[in-house]
Amino acid sequence: MSNSLPSLEVARKRPWPPRITAFTEPFWQALSDSRLTTTRCTACELPTFPPKPYCPSCWSQNMRWIALSGHGRLYSRTVIHVVPADFAEEAPLHNGIVDLDEGLRAAARLIGDTPIPLDTAVEAVVLRYEDGPLFAFRLASAA
Amino acid sequence: MSNSVALIGAAACPVGRLQSRPEDPIQVVEHEILTGLVLDAVADAGVTKEQIDALVLAQCRSGTVQKYFATFMADLLRLPMDGAVMEVLGNGMTGGLAFDQAVKEVRLGHAEVALALGINMESAMTAGEQSNETMRMTGDVDFHTPFGFTPISWYALDAMRYMHDFGATREQLASVAVKNRRHASLNPLAHFRKPITVEDVVAQRPIVEPLGLYDVPARDDGAVCLVVASEAVAKASGRPYARLRGRGFHHEGVHQISELPNDMTAFAAATRAGNAACEAAGIAMDDIDFAELYAPCTITEVLVSEALGFCDRGRGAAQAEAGETTLGGRIPICPSGGCLSRGHPPFVTPLYDTYECLEQLRGDAGKRQVKDAALALTCCELGNYNAALVQILEAVR
Repeated sequence: MSNSLPSLEVARKRPWPPRITAFTEPFWQALSDSRLTTTRCTACELPTFPPKPYCPSCWSQNMRWIALSGHGRLYSRTVIHVVPADFAEEAPLHNGIVDLDEGLRAAARLIGDTPIPLDTAVEAVVLRYEDGPLFAFRLASAA
Repeated sequence: MSNSVALIGAAACPVGRLQSRPEDPIQVVEHEILTGLVLDAVADAGVTKEQIDALVLAQCRSGTVQKYFATFMADLLRLPMDGAVMEVLGNGMTGGLAFDQAVKEVRLGHAEVALALGINMESAMTAGEQSNETMRMTGDVDFHTPFGFTPISWYALDAMRYMHDFGATREQLASVAVKNRRHASLNPLAHFRKPITVEDVVAQRPIVEPLGLYDVPARDDGAVCLVVASEAVAKASGRPYARLRGRGFHHEGVHQISELPNDMTAFAAATRAGNAACEAAGIAMDDIDFAELYAPCTITEVLVSEALGFCDRGRGAAQAEAGETTLGGRIPICPSGGCLSRGHPPFVTPLYDTYECLEQLRGDAGKRQVKDAALALTCCELGNYNAALVQILEAVR
């Protein structure tokens, strides 16, 4: 398995906790265990994110869980100043779109004090809220 | 062509803040506004109540207390119909789908005259309350919403990437807002009519970086009724009208962002829908005299104008700055003032855009009249332009 993702504690509950299904439960359990995972099609080999029980490309229903490195590049970012009421405590929201090394695009919170330039290497981190985890990205630590 | 379809009449109320708060002693209710617009639009079209056989309503927003509003309207208007009575929903495309469906009812022979109408009320909610709802409309509720993405935040992500890829500046984006305000100053239906400068736009507080207050739409209310008819009915009226020349639609099979990395700011759905509409109309994009685009933010207008082919990729912001999209310019875009200044009641915005096309094509647009306007294009969308619906209308006078 891949290395453990770095973690950050967040001393509050998630403003909008994701629903956990029988299918996505392994994803959230792995994230709790500091691993980012998803599914890959055993027929056409394309990965998918978020994980799915079928392949959106070839419609095969034979998928397997794979580990993601958590490494990628920042495709875009924004700072949301006018936020949904549920997110008032977290405002402003530094959010971005990340292209993962495995050829997948994800959107999530960005962590750090200075804006990350686009196309810069980023790494996934686990945000450990009181009620469960979320994933986020930050500037990749100098390898 | 025997099944040729025309837009023959319309009525709309000024865009603005109409919605009452629950505690207000006197309430503003949707049906009192919309029934009046139906009567005005039908009078404008010069048809009779008995000729109407279909009613397609842009679904109302969640704050509208009366539900099943389309059938309620049929009752209020005492309007028996043999074609269809329905409500449609497609996020920002909702009003465009209402018009598209009304056109189909006529084209299929289900109705000789059809109404496409809607009323969008949302201004009495706070931005935070409304975002709590709309954050679930754009993106995956379990994998995007937990981070608090709002609908316009996706356009902000477009803006950041576009500026990075093409070197566009905040000032160039701002020129879109300045141009739209100038157009709106000539439109009696527009919400914001006081002229602004590039400096004003850049100086506003940030809403979703890099976009500030004047780069994004206000939360607006509005209502429109359009009257669609067979071209035989249109001709018989002896009045000028707009003929439907072409239509194109594409959904890229993506909800907000593609999980497989792509060029997010290319707005590929608009390109495909625009090409399909031109092909159906038998024209080239260069033949279009003006366009009314569903573009909630400055960046959105830049990107969709590029995607439709009104300029080369990467030139959309510079094109606006150079005045090419201003009234009197090479290709006027949003002569109404667009989402940013005419206003943006999202579920009926495309109906306002089509309304503006009729005004222009009949030569009724007053000081904002596009000279010799003969061919108009509208484009509406949903998500981050993950889908686009393009209509081309032609003046018949």
